[in-house]
Amino acid sequence: MNAVEAKELSKAFGTRKALDGVSFDLPEGAFLSIFGPNGAGKTTLLKLLSTLARPTGGQARVGGIDLKEEPDKARELIGVISHQSMLYPDLTAEENLALYAELYGVADPKARAVELLEAVGLSHRRLDPVRTFSRGMTQRISIARALVHDPAVVFLDEPYSGLDPHAVDIFDSLIEAARGDRTFIMVSHDIAKGFGMCTHALVLARGRVVTFAPPRRARLRRVRPTLPRDRRHGGGVDGPPFYLPAIPHAAR
Amino acid sequence: MGRPSTFRQYRTLLAKDLRQEFRTREMLMSMGIYALLVIIVYGAALALTANGLDIMHMGGGLLWVLIVFTSLLGLGRSFAHEKEQGCMEGVLLAPLDRSVIFLAKATSNMLFMFLVEVIAVPLFYFFFMSGQPVAPTFAAIVAPLLVGTIGMAGIGTMLSTITMNTRSKDVMLAVLFIPLIYPLLSACVTATTAAIAGAELWTDLFVMPLVLACGYDVVMLLVCWVLYDFVVSA
Amino acid sequence: MKKGMVKVPEAGQWPDKLAIPALATGAVLTTAGFLAAFLLVAPVNGAELESPELVGDVMVTHQQLLSQKIFYFHMPVAIVSFVLLAFGAYYGVRFLTTREARFDTCSRVAMELTLLFVVFTMITGDLWTRFEWGVWWTWDPRLTTYLILMLIVIAYFVMRNAVDDPELRATYASVVSVIAFVDVPICFMVTRLIPSSVHPVVTREGGMSPDMALAVMLVMAGMMLVAFGLYRLRFRQARLAERLQALKDQLDD
Repeated sequence: MNAVEAKELSKAFGTRKALDGVSFDLPEGAFLSIFGPNGAGKTTLLKLLSTLARPTGGQARVGGIDLKEEPDKARELIGVISHQSMLYPDLTAEENLALYAELYGVADPKARAVELLEAVGLSHRRLDPVRTFSRGMTQRISIARALVHDPAVVFLDEPYSGLDPHAVDIFDSLIEAARGDRTFIMVSHDIAKGFGMCTHALVLARGRVVTFAPPRRARLRRVRPTLPRDRRHGGGVDGPPFYLPAIPHAAR
Repeated sequence: MGRPSTFRQYRTLLAKDLRQEFRTREMLMSMGIYALLVIIVYGAALALTANGLDIMHMGGGLLWVLIVFTSLLGLGRSFAHEKEQGCMEGVLLAPLDRSVIFLAKATSNMLFMFLVEVIAVPLFYFFFMSGQPVAPTFAAIVAPLLVGTIGMAGIGTMLSTITMNTRSKDVMLAVLFIPLIYPLLSACVTATTAAIAGAELWTDLFVMPLVLACGYDVVMLLVCWVLYDFVVSA
Repeated sequence: MKKGMVKVPEAGQWPDKLAIPALATGAVLTTAGFLAAFLLVAPVNGAELESPELVGDVMVTHQQLLSQKIFYFHMPVAIVSFVLLAFGAYYGVRFLTTREARFDTCSRVAMELTLLFVVFTMITGDLWTRFEWGVWWTWDPRLTTYLILMLIVIAYFVMRNAVDDPELRATYASVVSVIAFVDVPICFMVTRLIPSSVHPVVTREGGMSPDMALAVMLVMAGMMLVAFGLYRLRFRQARLAERLQALKDQLDD
C-alpha cells in the first residue's frame, strides 16, 4: 500500500495558483525530499498533506485515508516536525509531550513523555521549562513531540534551520532511529542533506511537479553540475558516533 | 490508542492554558495592574464629584469601562503563546474538533477575566462607593458581570484569533471588539447601574437588559462556535 | 460552481448591461419620490402652536415640519444600507463554503456600498435629529445602531488592510461580515428595548398615509436601483483590477 498518495492536488486563490495538479504515490517506508525554489509550493504541499490547509482541487490520501473525508483519522497517522518547535515555552519538556500525548489519546501520556525524552537523550532535563533549552535541544524535543502518537508518516518542514552542525548530526541520528517502517517527507533548502537521506525526490517549480523519481533518476534529469557536491554531513563525523536507542512505539 | 473524548481534549487544553498562566502570571499581572491604574485615573477624573448620588449612577458605567479595557488587554495576549512557537499549528495537527479549541480558549479567558474582576470590583467599591449607603440590591451586580464576561470572552476569543495574524494586532482587536460588543455592554451597564442604584422598580431596569444580554451571549457564542473552524483552517 | 446554487454572474456578463440603465432609472425614481414628498404629501404636524394660524389657505394648529421631508430620504437609505450588509454577509457565507475569490470580491464591494449608504444614513439621520429634536446627537436606538454599524464596517476595512495573505484576508473578512450582520439587529433590539431613564426613546408611531407610503416606496425603489447599478460597476472595476494584477504577476514570473 502507498503511504502517501496525491492526485491532481491543487491549491489556488483567485488566479494565483500555489499548487497546480500535483500527483505522486509514495510507498511505505520511503523518504521523500521535496526540492524547489522559493514559492514553488513546497510548504503549501506539506500543509495540504498534513491537513492544515484544504486543497481547492484533487485528492490526497495518507495511509489510505482520504484527507478530505476523514481528516481526524488521518491526523492520527501524521506527525510534523517544523522549524518552529510547536512547544509551549513556559511548560516543561515533559508537560509539553504529555499535553500532546493526551490530545492524541495515547494510553499513558506521562509515561509516554518520559519514554520519549529518554529516547531523545534529554530525560535529565525533563522538568525544565522549554524556554531554557538551546535550539538544538528544543528541536530534539520537537522530534519527540511529532512521534508522540507513533505516526506512520512524518513531515519535516525545514527542520535544520537554526541548528549548528553538531545539532544537525544529533538530529540526523534521531531521524535515523525513528525511521523503521515510517514514511518521511522532507522540505529543506539544504540540497546535499536532502539527497543524502532520501529514497525519492520530488522537484517542484511554480506549483507543478517537474520530476518525481527515485533520486538517481531525478539527479540525472534535473540536477545541474553546479550543484554542491560536498558531503559536509554525509561523510564521516568527527568524534565518536552519537548513540541513541531506537524510538519506542506508543502503547495502543 | 483510540481517540480521546472531546471533553477530555477540552480539559487538556484548558489545563494547559491555566498551568501556563499560573506559572508565569503574565496575563493576570498585567490585567490586574492595568485595572488598578484605571482606578487611579478615575480617582483624578472624579475628584470634583462631591455628590455621592453621582457616583451611584455612574458607577455601573465606570466599572464596565474598567472591565472592557482590562479584558481587551488580556484577550490581546491570549494567543501570543500559541503564535510564538507555532503551537497553534501543533494543536491543529491533533485529531480534535476545532470548536474545542475555541471553547477551551474562551473558557480560560473567561476565568482570567473573572479573577481580575474579583479583585477589581471590590477595589472599585472601596475607592469610590464605600462612603455611600449600599443599596440592598448591590449583590445583584454579580449577574450582569457574569453574563457580560461570558459574552466578552466568547467574542473576544474569536476576534483575537483573527487579529493574531494581522498587523498591529492590539489596535485591531480594539477596533473590532468594541463596536461588536456594544449591545452587550449597553445592556450590562444598564443592569449593573440598576443594581447599584437600587431604587424602587429597579427590576424594570435590571431584568430586561439581563435577558437581552443572555440572548446576545447565546447568539454570538453559537455564531463563533460555527465559524471558528473557518477561521483556523484556511 | 456547485449544482443547486444560484449562479452569480461574473463581471462583464449580462447584469453589467443593466448597470447604467439601473442607475439612471434609480436617479429618476429617487428624484420623483423626492418631488412627491415635497409637492404631494401633506406636511406633518409638529409641536402645537399657541393659537391657530393661517398658513397658505389652511388653518393650522400645529407647527408645520418641513424637516420631516428628510424622512423620505433617510428611511430608504437606511433600509438599503442594511440590505447591502445582508448581501455582504451572504457572499461572506458563500465564500466560506466555496473558497472562491470572486465571492470575497462580491462581499467586499457590498460592504463598501454599505459604508457609503450608512454614511448617508448618518448624515440624514443627524439632520433629522437636529431639526426634529433640536440636538445634534441623541442616543436614539436607530442612530446608535447605525453609528455602531458604521464603526463595524470601518473596522472591517481596517482589518482587511492589516492582513497580507489574500486567502486569510478573505476568510477573516467573511467571518467579520457575518458577525456584523448578526450583531446589528441585536444592537437595534437592545437599544430599543432597554428602558432608559435619561434619554426617552423617541419613536413616532402611527403608520404612513398612502401618499407618504407612495413617496417612500418611490425613493426606496430608486435607491435599490442606484445601489444595484453602483454595485455592478464597482464589481466590474474590482474584477478588472484583479485580472490586471494577475497579469502583472504572470509577467513577473
